[in-house]
Amino acid sequence: MQKNKGRSRFIVACVAPATILAIIFLAVPTFNVFRMSLYQWGGYSPNQTFVGLKNFATLFKDENFFRSCRNSVLLIVIVTVITISLALLFASLLTREKLRGQNFFRVIFYIPNILSVVVISAIFSAIYDSNRGLLNSVLSLFRGDAEPIYWLGDQKIVIYSLVIAMVWQAIGYYMVMYMASMSSIPESLYESANLEGASRTRQFFSITLPLIWTNIRTTLTFFIISNINMSFLFVRAMTGGGPDGASEVFLSYMYKQAYTNSTYGYGMAIGVVVFTFSFALAAIVNRVTKREPLEF
Amino acid sequence: MKKVLSIALAVAMSLTLLAGCGSTPASTPASTAGGESTPAAEGGDYAGQTLKVAAIETAYGADMWKEVAAAFEAHTGATVELTTDKNLEDVIDPQMKAGNFYDVVHLAAGREKALPETLLKENAVEDVTDVLSMQVLGEDVTVGDKIIPGFTGNLTTNPYGDDKVYMMPMFYGPCGLFYNKANFTEGGGELELPTTWDEFFALADQTDIPLFTYPVAGYLDAFTYAMIAEVGGQDFFNKALQYDEEVWNSAEMDQMFEVLGKLAENTNPATPSYANNDNFTKNQQMILDNEALFMPNGNWVIGEMADAPRAENFEWGFMALPAMEEGGDRYSYTFFEQCWIPAGAENKDLAKLFISFLYSDEAANIFAASGAVQPITGMTDKLSDDNKVYYSVYDNGAKAAIGTFATTTPVEGVNIKEDVCFTMDSVVNGTKTVDDWKTAVRNSCAALRAALQ
Amino acid sequence: MNNREKIVGEKSGVISKSFIYAALVLLTVLIVVPVAWVFMAAIKENSEFYGNPFALPKGVHLQNFVDAWTKARMGDYFFTSVMITAVALALLLVVALPASYVLSRYKFRGSKLLNTCFMAGLFINVSYIVVPIFLMFVSGDKIVKNIFGHSFFLNNPFMVSVVLASTTLPFTIYLLSSYLATLPKDYEEAAYVDGAGYFTTMVRIILPMAKPSIITVILFEFLAYWNEYIISMTMLTDPNGARTLPVGLLNLMKAQNAKAEYGQMYAGMVMVMVPTLILYMCVQKKLTQGMTLGGLKG
Repeated sequence: MQKNKGRSRFIVACVAPATILAIIFLAVPTFNVFRMSLYQWGGYSPNQTFVGLKNFATLFKDENFFRSCRNSVLLIVIVTVITISLALLFASLLTREKLRGQNFFRVIFYIPNILSVVVISAIFSAIYDSNRGLLNSVLSLFRGDAEPIYWLGDQKIVIYSLVIAMVWQAIGYYMVMYMASMSSIPESLYESANLEGASRTRQFFSITLPLIWTNIRTTLTFFIISNINMSFLFVRAMTGGGPDGASEVFLSYMYKQAYTNSTYGYGMAIGVVVFTFSFALAAIVNRVTKREPLEF
Repeated sequence: MKKVLSIALAVAMSLTLLAGCGSTPASTPASTAGGESTPAAEGGDYAGQTLKVAAIETAYGADMWKEVAAAFEAHTGATVELTTDKNLEDVIDPQMKAGNFYDVVHLAAGREKALPETLLKENAVEDVTDVLSMQVLGEDVTVGDKIIPGFTGNLTTNPYGDDKVYMMPMFYGPCGLFYNKANFTEGGGELELPTTWDEFFALADQTDIPLFTYPVAGYLDAFTYAMIAEVGGQDFFNKALQYDEEVWNSAEMDQMFEVLGKLAENTNPATPSYANNDNFTKNQQMILDNEALFMPNGNWVIGEMADAPRAENFEWGFMALPAMEEGGDRYSYTFFEQCWIPAGAENKDLAKLFISFLYSDEAANIFAASGAVQPITGMTDKLSDDNKVYYSVYDNGAKAAIGTFATTTPVEGVNIKEDVCFTMDSVVNGTKTVDDWKTAVRNSCAALRAALQ
Repeated sequence: MNNREKIVGEKSGVISKSFIYAALVLLTVLIVVPVAWVFMAAIKENSEFYGNPFALPKGVHLQNFVDAWTKARMGDYFFTSVMITAVALALLLVVALPASYVLSRYKFRGSKLLNTCFMAGLFINVSYIVVPIFLMFVSGDKIVKNIFGHSFFLNNPFMVSVVLASTTLPFTIYLLSSYLATLPKDYEEAAYVDGAGYFTTMVRIILPMAKPSIITVILFEFLAYWNEYIISMTMLTDPNGARTLPVGLLNLMKAQNAKAEYGQMYAGMVMVMVPTLILYMCVQKKLTQGMTLGGLKG
């Protein structure tokens, strides 16, 4: 009995601080986001008017919101697919092939991840500069004097310019994660596969991939969560949503509405949609990617 | 000469504005001289009181504000707590949300973060109409008498379209087109300066340089304002700013959009890719490098680009917008910054006294020394020769357009400035047509018309 | 048949290997060149920024660093950043470690619910809760001001640390508990038999074993705190008071209608980058040891 009491006390003492902080700084603010989405409020005056679901009704008729949705979804899908496949490719190359300088590459590839988005956006502004930028200078070697590509000035291209920057930033992080799990796959599995004459591509798909599948699933979930936030930081720093709103994403549109258009409640309604969306998307991804976990 | 200049400016402005502003009474309070207003200039009266002033730091620098604050302290004995910052919104917005209001804020509408607009939409700015009838601290004239007529009574200072003044006009400057004089005959070049839009577009056949660029699409607001006035005159302009349906559907508006469309075709195609906060100086650089002929801007651009390298013989030139047709009116939009009192300010009387002091000769001289010119009668006398170039634009026959889109209650998802200005990016790179542009603006106008207070 | 395949395989091995090297080197160049470019830009004079951004600097203009450090107050901001990051990290570890330990290794009433709640917390995005938190501080300050006469929550670097630590709790707890869950139960049982209490067991036995994952957390969250600007921009609003380095940097970048100080800006970027690079170089070897995301080992 005495022991049980001590155990409960210990548990409470350990969990309570974290729980309290999480309630104050995560749960309550989130609740407030949901609550304010039902109000009309400009941000300054004391008059907050309850309008029910009107904000959401307006939202689902707002063309600009749908454009920001499309952009966000596009970024999530493309950046995720490219980053994860490239990260897997490089991770398996670095772990499976006997390469010199393996450690060197691992260290270098991770560097973009430790940079501030502010720095990254400055870097890419210089790279994407349409007249004197690095990218167009290199491309002009192949394209001659053709019209330069307006990386940040063309509606059709600007999203892909963001994709490149985001992949550049994220690839090392995921590569290092996959390397960690790949290196724990027993060498014997590959040896016996070699004896059976399986090609390396074959080995990758029938040994490596299934064995780190749980790891990939988890990173996918994290990717979706962080991508929504990262795309916002990139857009804010690199394009400001331009040209003409063409690169607006969920959260940047939310900021515009909540702070510069004096429609705070409307902005919070967007916040609610984003929250629900990321939750749902993570659940779907989790369901779709479910496989029997393989043991080795 | 100096005198002539300033008088010409004042006359030109007052005439054009008084002629046009039939519906919005220009400078009403100016006639009622300050009788019952706060006693001015009694040194030491305000000892122990603190006045919180926040002012944006622009190309003019922050020192002039320090000097003016010190001068005010010397006059009144009050303490001025001065806040200046280049991104003033980031500083004062959270403070004011937190209930720490400033007594006087100098921050213009029309910036990216739209803070004054937000406060106006929220009815959180104090009515300062009575300041116009107050005596300037230390002088015998009223504030209203000192301000050049037309600078109050427009939709910027009277945002709700009535006769109440909420924003006091501060540093002003004509907005028009900047160019390199060396390209034109006045600077020894080949080209003739265009006086009509037809001549403007005809330049395309005479030179390889693209005709146009803009720093960010947001700068096109002043530009379109002037154009609206050109196509339809002052009354038309005022109605347009109040989202009048007839005006926006008129043939004159079609004509304006047509010119804008042509302008988009003649814009340096790289412009939209630099038209963001990080890179807009590269668009301004195009003028310096002769990669574009004209650019809409304000006179701060000269300070902004002071360090930048430039083409040989480069010299800044400035002109009003070309006229719509031969002999038509040419306009230059008059941009001015504003100073206002938040409704939550604690020390409103002292704040009003401070504002009155801003229009004193003493303060105006301090500001002018840094190149910041207030709309005070006779002020252009004190300008350096460099600066006079801009202010003389009205002297050469251009008319002034003053005002901004009327303030409405907030409308979810509708932003008129985005529709009017930023669509340009899309038209330049061919994603949208001029007709799309018209439709978008008309739809937003319809939504905002319903939300007019 | 088999033999032939082997020969072909070896031949293609050499080719594919050079291909692989080429790809790796290419990626290395793509990463190193832009980063090195920032360092290069930091020693350029202001007028050099209007030309080709990739032109070599004309000379070493170290004045940029001096100007940034003093004129742009990056020096002050630097120390604020160091303080906020250090306090937030300490707080995070003190709070998150016991919680993760108990959540991952104890079964009690509500343990499942708590775990789920912290998992759900992963989906909460700082970008949209920052203003509700700010408004909460505003009303908190009003009360505090009435009682003590001065505000407490806003413009207080310590509160920024608290908010930073709290908002990163879900991820940290997730990371730590998935690692702690992999440790065998035997260690604790042995400790209890020896008569050690719960607390002693946690501090003396379990935490030392969790070192790899703690190092991972420190690196991740250091990067997150150091580069963060949304929260610190909202909570620290006094222009003459404390600010963090990224906010100062943004201020240098986003000044409209004023002359841009490019040299100071890039010098500021170097100041933001260097500490992260140093820390990363120190811990990079241990970086992956603490990660068992997805419970690969479990």
